Amino acid sequence: MTAAPAAPPALDVRGVTVRFAGLLALDDVSFTVAPGTVHAVIGPNGAGKSTCFNVLSGLYRPTAGTVRLGAAELTRLAPHRIAALGVARTFQNIVTTRGTVADNLMLGRHALSRAGFAATALRLPSAVREQRAHLARAREIAELTGLGAHFDTPVALLPYGDRKRVELARALCLEPRVLLLDEPVAGMNAAERTRTTEVVREIRAELGLSVVLVEHDMGLVMRLADDVTVLDFGRAVAHGTPDEVRRDPEVLRAYLGTGTGTGTAKEGAA
Amino acid sequence: MSDPRSVLRRRAALLPPVLLLCALPFYLDAFWLRIGLFSMAAAVGAVGLGLLSGTAGQLSLGHAFFLAVGAYGYVWLAGEPGPGLPPAVAAVLAVLLAGAAGGLFSPVAGRVKGIYLGVATLALVFLGHHVLLTADSVTGGFNGRSVPPLEVGGFAFADSGPELTVLGVPFGAEERLWYLGLALFALTWFTARGLLRGRPGRALAALSDSETAASVMGVHVARYRSAAFVVSSMYAGLAGVLLALSFRRVVPDYFSLALSVDYLAMIVIGGLGSVAGASAGAVFVTALPLLMTRYADQLPLVATPGSGGGAIGPTEASRYLYGAAIVVILLRAPDGLHGLARRAGARLRRRRRATGPPGTGAAPIPAAGTDPTDPTDPAARAKEHTP
Amino acid sequence: MSGFLDNLLNGLAVGSVYALIALGFVTIFKASGVLNFAHGSLLLLGGYLVAVLHDDLGFAGALAVAVLVTAAVAGLLDRLVLQRTGGSDPHAAHVQTIVTIGVDIVLVTDLARRIGGDLLPLGDPWGDAVTDLGPVTVADSRVAAILVSAAAIGGAFALFRFTSWGLSLRAAAEDAEAAALMGVRLNRVRTAAWCLAGGLAALAAVFLVAFPAPGLERTTGQIALKAFPAAILGGMASPVGALVGSMLIGLTEAFVAGYQSDLHVLGEGFGDVAPYAVMVLVLLVRPAGLFAAKGTARV
Repeated sequence: MTAAPAAPPALDVRGVTVRFAGLLALDDVSFTVAPGTVHAVIGPNGAGKSTCFNVLSGLYRPTAGTVRLGAAELTRLAPHRIAALGVARTFQNIVTTRGTVADNLMLGRHALSRAGFAATALRLPSAVREQRAHLARAREIAELTGLGAHFDTPVALLPYGDRKRVELARALCLEPRVLLLDEPVAGMNAAERTRTTEVVREIRAELGLSVVLVEHDMGLVMRLADDVTVLDFGRAVAHGTPDEVRRDPEVLRAYLGTGTGTGTAKEGAA
Repeated sequence: MSDPRSVLRRRAALLPPVLLLCALPFYLDAFWLRIGLFSMAAAVGAVGLGLLSGTAGQLSLGHAFFLAVGAYGYVWLAGEPGPGLPPAVAAVLAVLLAGAAGGLFSPVAGRVKGIYLGVATLALVFLGHHVLLTADSVTGGFNGRSVPPLEVGGFAFADSGPELTVLGVPFGAEERLWYLGLALFALTWFTARGLLRGRPGRALAALSDSETAASVMGVHVARYRSAAFVVSSMYAGLAGVLLALSFRRVVPDYFSLALSVDYLAMIVIGGLGSVAGASAGAVFVTALPLLMTRYADQLPLVATPGSGGGAIGPTEASRYLYGAAIVVILLRAPDGLHGLARRAGARLRRRRRATGPPGTGAAPIPAAGTDPTDPTDPAARAKEHTP
Repeated sequence: MSGFLDNLLNGLAVGSVYALIALGFVTIFKASGVLNFAHGSLLLLGGYLVAVLHDDLGFAGALAVAVLVTAAVAGLLDRLVLQRTGGSDPHAAHVQTIVTIGVDIVLVTDLARRIGGDLLPLGDPWGDAVTDLGPVTVADSRVAAILVSAAAIGGAFALFRFTSWGLSLRAAAEDAEAAALMGVRLNRVRTAAWCLAGGLAALAAVFLVAFPAPGLERTTGQIALKAFPAAILGGMASPVGALVGSMLIGLTEAFVAGYQSDLHVLGEGFGDVAPYAVMVLVLLVRPAGLFAAKGTARV
């Protein structure tokens, strides 16, 4: 059950606008995530990064604009349909569910498995077999993300950094073609950051998926990203490679002008 | 998915309680058997409500309605007036009917969340009660209907039919129904635990913790909410059939809001989200008033039934007790009886581990699919018992 | 025509009593996120206190005591039991909701035991007197219900709007965390909300059992449950919605009862359960109620 899908289709965001009660959260945002690349979306707090993710995963319906994954138009689909197309995500604030790491990871296998209420209740051989196969794959992914030792530990008992990684592993369990990571290293200490960065680098190399990354840690963005889109006040103010973006005056203005994120910008430049 | 030895050990651990339950009819008189029978019926229903309210986090105060659908469905389908089907067929159809009734409500049950569903399901109880009173030709109105005995292949679960004596013990209705109840409870136990540990159970638990996380992981939230409601209704229907057979008469007033609240009390007292907990809670809530009635004259502060004049009768006393039990349990031990037992077990183990060789605590432990009653398995415990 | 006006007035009177209950229910929900399933038993407590005290204190005195005591009981319930339940659990309000069911069992059992099979008169001054208002004859108790409810509801809305408590309540319902940071004492705000709701429930009890109802019985608390659909229809968190929902429920009940003979297919006494039918129908179309704010899920 090793997943090595052919190169994922491009994720194409075109003119996405989101308006909440008169407030413009995203204003005509466009960018394209090329197949198999890491695309970072950066910007000061409140720039619309999480809103953007919520549109991509189907939690918000944009006022205007389209999101295409290959031929599929995502903006009209419910979140579970988007998940079934191979788009997985993590959350900025940890959103794990009850139970062990194994339970959370098996939730990630939900869209890939079939067993319904009747088959599971009667423990039909097909359901038992399916569960066993998916559990084996979930264990592999736990090993890959460095959670192998905690596979049967209740998530609530894990330290912050590990819980954050549970989310990452759960998303990977979906065998995604596109992985949306919302601040994967926020709140982590230096060692945990390094470890997560390694994990992301590895999975990208091994699984060949596209990654969309929202992150404040400029160091991480510079090391991982192939392309960067900068959001400010809901607008995409710059696109380019990390190096181009770092020199872009608009970006400097967005970061330095608002006063937030100066530290991280400096860290990135260092 | 766990190794065969642990499976075997778990199965072996189940053997003594099963043997004990099978042997009881040879030693207990009808009074105790009836308590057991009502408890088993209640446990079937409580497990169903536990799936809905405990696991999926959807509060329901409409459980009494689905119990009624099962009970009246059986009576009508097997009886006269009614199609007069073979009782076994009628029983199966009654369970399906309860599921269908749950399905009819699913446009509401799939979209109304959590505690709000509790208010919405009030409608089922009151509208259902009204229908039971009004649709005389089917339900027999206020006085209800008598319940045709269940017969399978010429064997009647009643006092009728050929006499039966096993090992010198005459098998009357109570003894026969006991084994029926036991079989249905076993079926409930088997299926419900399969559900909880399988894909649907995980999806339901996840959507009650975070609808957002569940949906982006591919769970069709509304469909799963509806399905939980339907499955829970089917367990209620099964419990209703068993209750009807045990009572031998069904009356509308039994299926009131108070009954729904009783079932909620069962799963809260037992510990939300666990099959064993729901069963323990069912026994507690069912047996308590019956025992209090029987022993009222020996209990302090409790008056014998019918002494009137505002005295505390056995029914009131037990209601005080389990009303208070809900409050105290949620204040002190939100995971109920089952959680208390679990923590006591964990404390014992810690003590044992402290004296054992270092490092044994980190031994690899089988994961999902292991037995939650197995005290060596924190994985399954955390999964089934977190409210 | 007079039949229609009769039903209309009855519906408004019953609706305004439901509004007292539903408003309390919604206030509690706004302040604490709890659906108070013990609301019916608080109402029964209020009614019971008036019934046993009115001989000694007179009706007005008994009512005043009943309102204050019920308000205090509701406040203590919140302070001593609910606020200590659930802890930091994100679902604490849900746990507390189930606790109110436990509290309801205890309170109802106790009050029902005291009331027994009796019908207790509340000694209200209106008795079975009626007044002619043009073409319709209306019971004084109904008129009183409308007037007193309107006054009490007006008072409650004034509290919401013009007091610092009301401001805090709205702020807390909007964003509890932010409100706490700005110095709103959430515990006090919610306890006060429970007190207000308890007082309103006790007041409602008087009109719920006044003529033409026969008196206070052990099941009176269940009648109060009909205010729940009213609150749900209104979208739970909206006091105005609760008012509209209550009127809708009251009118439905009155008209169904009034045209009983034309609706006999639905069975005798359908008026009593009609509110629930209305609730189900509305929820089918709008699962979040009629007045629910269209919020976006926060992730």
